[in-house]
Amino acid sequence: MKVLVEERAPGVYLVRPQGEVDMSTSPELRKLLVPLFCPGTRLVLVDLSEVPYMDSSGIATLVEGLQLSQRRSIQFALAGLSASVSAAFEVAHLMEVFRVVPQVEEAFEEVLRR
Amino acid sequence: MPQQELSGPVLMEIPGDPRALFLVRCLVERLTRHLGFPEERVIRLTQAVDEACSNVIRHAYGGRSQERISLKFSFCQERLEVQVRDFALPPEPSKLIPRDLGELRPGGLGLHLIRAGADEVHYEEVPGQKGCLLRLVLFRHRQGGSP
Repeated sequence: MKVLVEERAPGVYLVRPQGEVDMSTSPELRKLLVPLFCPGTRLVLVDLSEVPYMDSSGIATLVEGLQLSQRRSIQFALAGLSASVSAAFEVAHLMEVFRVVPQVEEAFEEVLRR
Repeated sequence: MPQQELSGPVLMEIPGDPRALFLVRCLVERLTRHLGFPEERVIRLTQAVDEACSNVIRHAYGGRSQERISLKFSFCQERLEVQVRDFALPPEPSKLIPRDLGELRPGGLGLHLIRAGADEVHYEEVPGQKGCLLRLVLFRHRQGGSP
């Protein structure tokens, strides 16, 4: 797995993990995601469209990001959930907790409009 | 379901190393699909077995280990059973209780994902031997995971 981080506008980040996120790879995602929740950040959007599988350690990383975003009043959204990732989110009752949007560009438009 | 002539069991053994988990997922996914289970159940069982192996590595072996994890897949017309066997001390019973999902916090989701992936989930000690056996049973004519 690799993780691409792109600053699309000042304080607006797109995070794109590519590959399966499990307990061997989630530390890499965490290492890149967590520092984004810092002063000056307005939005962090994680595009999961190239993540065919995510285990509970990957989900825990996203939950940590969500908590940081809430604590620091930073917008945080997820896009492009696969069937597998959606199934895990449903079991964990997280679909209603995260802001989940189908497409990345829609997310930027929707979130930045707020 | 034309592939039912495949006879089991299928055995797999991996090191207690997170980097080997993808091999488990590949086998569970391909075998369950081959046996004709619907895609939703394929996804959930794959997640459950992966989480079970992750739990062994994280909690029973305390991280990457030279210890092994053995998996056995037995199947017939009515059901598929996956056994996940470790060789560590058995967990405290309190560690096998899933946490409340109403609480938003990182971690603690593995047991929920394991339970959701099968119709029956059994943790058993192995008499006279070190280690624990987790049995995940999927019945062909049921729809969901454990209640």
